[in-house]
Amino acid sequence: MDRRQLLGAFCATAAASLITPEVARAAQPTWSAAFADLDADVPRTPMTLVRGRAPAGLAGSLYRNGPGKFRRPGGSVEHWFDGDGLMRAYRIADGRATVEARFIDTPKRRADIAANAVVTPGFGTPARPGAKVGDNDDVNAANISVMRVGGELWALWEAGSPIAVDPADLSTKGVRTLRDDLKHMPFLAHPSRGPDGDVWSLGVNGSKAIVWRLAADGTLKEARMLDMPRASYIHDFVTTPRHLVLYLQPWVQDRFTTPYADSFSWRPEMGSQVLVVDKADFSRRRVYELPPAFAFHFGGAWEDADGTIRFDGCFSPDPSFARENGRSLMTGTYKRQAPPLLGLVTLRPDGKAGVESVGVAAEFPRNGARTAEPRRYTIHAAGDAPDVPMFNGLASHDWKTGRADAFNFGAGMLMEEAVFVARPGGSGELDGWLLAPAVNTKAGATELHAFDARRIADGPVCTWRAPLTLPVSLHGTFVGA
Amino acid sequence: MRLPLLLALTLCAAPFAARAADTASLTVTFTGLEPRGAVNFVLVNSAEAYGDKAAPVAADRIAVTGDTASKTFEGLAPGRYAVKAFHDVNGDGKMGTNPFGIPTEPYGFSNNAKAAMGPPKWDEAAFQVNAGAGVQTISMAR
Ligand SMILES: [Fe+2]
Repeated sequence: MDRRQLLGAFCATAAASLITPEVARAAQPTWSAAFADLDADVPRTPMTLVRGRAPAGLAGSLYRNGPGKFRRPGGSVEHWFDGDGLMRAYRIADGRATVEARFIDTPKRRADIAANAVVTPGFGTPARPGAKVGDNDDVNAANISVMRVGGELWALWEAGSPIAVDPADLSTKGVRTLRDDLKHMPFLAHPSRGPDGDVWSLGVNGSKAIVWRLAADGTLKEARMLDMPRASYIHDFVTTPRHLVLYLQPWVQDRFTTPYADSFSWRPEMGSQVLVVDKADFSRRRVYELPPAFAFHFGGAWEDADGTIRFDGCFSPDPSFARENGRSLMTGTYKRQAPPLLGLVTLRPDGKAGVESVGVAAEFPRNGARTAEPRRYTIHAAGDAPDVPMFNGLASHDWKTGRADAFNFGAGMLMEEAVFVARPGGSGELDGWLLAPAVNTKAGATELHAFDARRIADGPVCTWRAPLTLPVSLHGTFVGA
Repeated sequence: MRLPLLLALTLCAAPFAARAADTASLTVTFTGLEPRGAVNFVLVNSAEAYGDKAAPVAADRIAVTGDTASKTFEGLAPGRYAVKAFHDVNGDGKMGTNPFGIPTEPYGFSNNAKAAMGPPKWDEAAFQVNAGAGVQTISMAR
């Protein structure tokens, strides 16, 4: 431990001793339970059915990832996105549910445990003395999403390699290098699975990206480099059968520093752009211009016969969540911001482009089942409340009729992203269920809600409750029994 | 057992004492290796040479056949030195990097100085070599 670290640890201890436990507790809003540390792995634990009855045919495992450990004695993360990746599994069989959670064994977590401080830099946390940053995977928190690949789960971050996890016991199997010469190349947390089963992903560095194309079993089919017109922050992208569609927001990287988020500047005068490239030939491309807006997430893209491309997303006026609010979640000082609004981008063959905002607060947009018909629905977290992070409800939006099907639990239910589960033998985009965990701050417990995807307004068909609270997760995937 | 061994070492060293008074030997050992390829490294004695702006004292390549590899330098002038090394696992003679310039082959520095958003500074990697026999062990394990 060097001098600065020692001083830091000393000051933290001195400050803590001045605040009585009562004062510290009073200062924390109730929602902060959803952003508290989980200190140890949770073995498989039965959940209690507290509402309704489990639908027949709903069976399998919902795997979810998200940050789960934020604070250490010698120094803590400064942003929600920098907690250690915590993999969770909700397993449903015979109408019963269990929950388990296990931290992903990353070099970052090992280094921070050894230092008894978060020394490793991240999205919103600076490098501290003792940090080892030899390559991207030294700082890989593996904490954003999870994808099933062959017989493995891949925990995904966005600036490092996938990290394989065993779906049976959530143990970490190790960093996956897709090709020796591509070791430590970034891999986004939001890959896009095409109708042929191929998985497309990106790894972004400034205005250059690697484009990954994997078979369903995770073997690399090809990796090609892509030049982009600007160095936007890219968290998500969409694809059509023929095209990659990249939303290039005017939050652009113009310097190199830690934390990563501080290397970007918000430049609304640049507007947003959408880069559309032909999957077969990256030189065949088109750039569309849009008004400036920030977005983390998009639902999916579809392409009409005349070449018109549409995609849905959740758009904010600026990157304040990425920059400030993600930090304030860690200190319990979160203040209301303008919520992201659901919108639909249309890119026309004549080069014209536009965004139609529905005016509905929304995050975590997801799709239902893939059908032969053009996509019609966006599923999203809905119902924002003043000065409380996350959302209190769930909704689907019908792009054909403009109608919403929504349910709001009200304050005290911090809804996580919902995942669509197709009904066995079902057909149709919403023929199935929506599975969404949530932190119920009144009950002091994590819950798992199952909705009929076509009757969200009826409320959950059933709810299971865990005997503990897990930190809210970011993204998940369902693997049927 | 301990004392006789120490005495033996002292006795053995005696004949070299005249020369060793003003020069040094240094054994550099790399550990944590996968037994293939070679370790490429430079031994430097100034911040300039450490920054590739002056010639190194030595540049060498040693084949890796086990999990460690060593090289001994004789007749060095006492002073500050540093070592920069990479494990040329695939034997192409180059430090492998991915398309974004991040090393794909193991590397290491004297003092086991750690990279933090770039290589460690000269001050972190530099070590003192005194007259007589010295050792420097560098872990190449990831
Ligand atoms: Fe995300």
